[in-house]
Amino acid sequence: MTLVAWLLGLGASLFIFGVVVVHLLMALVLIIPTWRICTRAGFSGALSLFHLVPLIGSFIVMGVLAFSDWPNGEAPSGKR
Amino acid sequence: MGAEVLGLFGLSSVFALIGLVFAGWMAWRIVEKAGLPGWAGLGAILLTLTGVGTIVPLILLWVFAFMRWPRDEMAGTPAGASSPGRPGSPTALPPPPAALADRRPWRLSGLSASGPVALSMDGTQPAYLLTGAATQQGNELSVPDPTVGQPHARLFVSGGRLGLEDLGTPGGTRIDGARLLPEHGPRDISAARVIHVGTVELTLSRA
Repeated sequence: MTLVAWLLGLGASLFIFGVVVVHLLMALVLIIPTWRICTRAGFSGALSLFHLVPLIGSFIVMGVLAFSDWPNGEAPSGKR
Repeated sequence: MGAEVLGLFGLSSVFALIGLVFAGWMAWRIVEKAGLPGWAGLGAILLTLTGVGTIVPLILLWVFAFMRWPRDEMAGTPAGASSPGRPGSPTALPPPPAALADRRPWRLSGLSASGPVALSMDGTQPAYLLTGAATQQGNELSVPDPTVGQPHARLFVSGGRLGLEDLGTPGGTRIDGARLLPEHGPRDISAARVIHVGTVELTLSRA
């Protein structure tokens, strides 16, 4: 019984570890291009680290880029 | 039990749909700020609805991050000169062309808080200082308005062309709607139409 519980605990730990690793890898694939977009727009590249936040992280980064004035300037509205 | 599962599924679908629409709207705005057509951003997000899943939008995100943005070219940055952090690196005005230049004076006209403004730059001075205060020297141009800095910007006349440099005041400077920052240095505005200094809109013309 103890062995079964131990194995279950090990399995759950490995599963959580796997989920975290996959999440970090997926976030990294998003963070690298977003870091460059943020710096080109004039924001800190660290803003892209919001991708590490599950579910809403990407929305936060996109929201900042979409609804704030870019410090490095934006394309004029008439020429968009 | 079936109804509850169906309800949960329906609720998740509603949230997913709202998220998708919101993400599409934000992507539209982001690519527009970079100078690209907004539908490209929306299309990239909507691609997740198709069979290609999230791979293609992910590839497009990488392409968008590393491609040349039309915004940088509109601001006058030389191709390939942009660094990741500063696409608008300071650039001096290029030398005047060898051909005969148009020597007509430049005019900036508009309406400030104190009334009509009409500024003329005939090229007798190489540089003019745009200020919200009253003029004290011959090379100063006054735009009496509380949103105009003292001084606010510097104008250069060189070879029949006109340059503008923002001096970093809170009111800000815009060239045809595009923000000019102090780190951008002097920009050639000969082809510009409307300059904003603070909230004052000035129309550029030749006399």
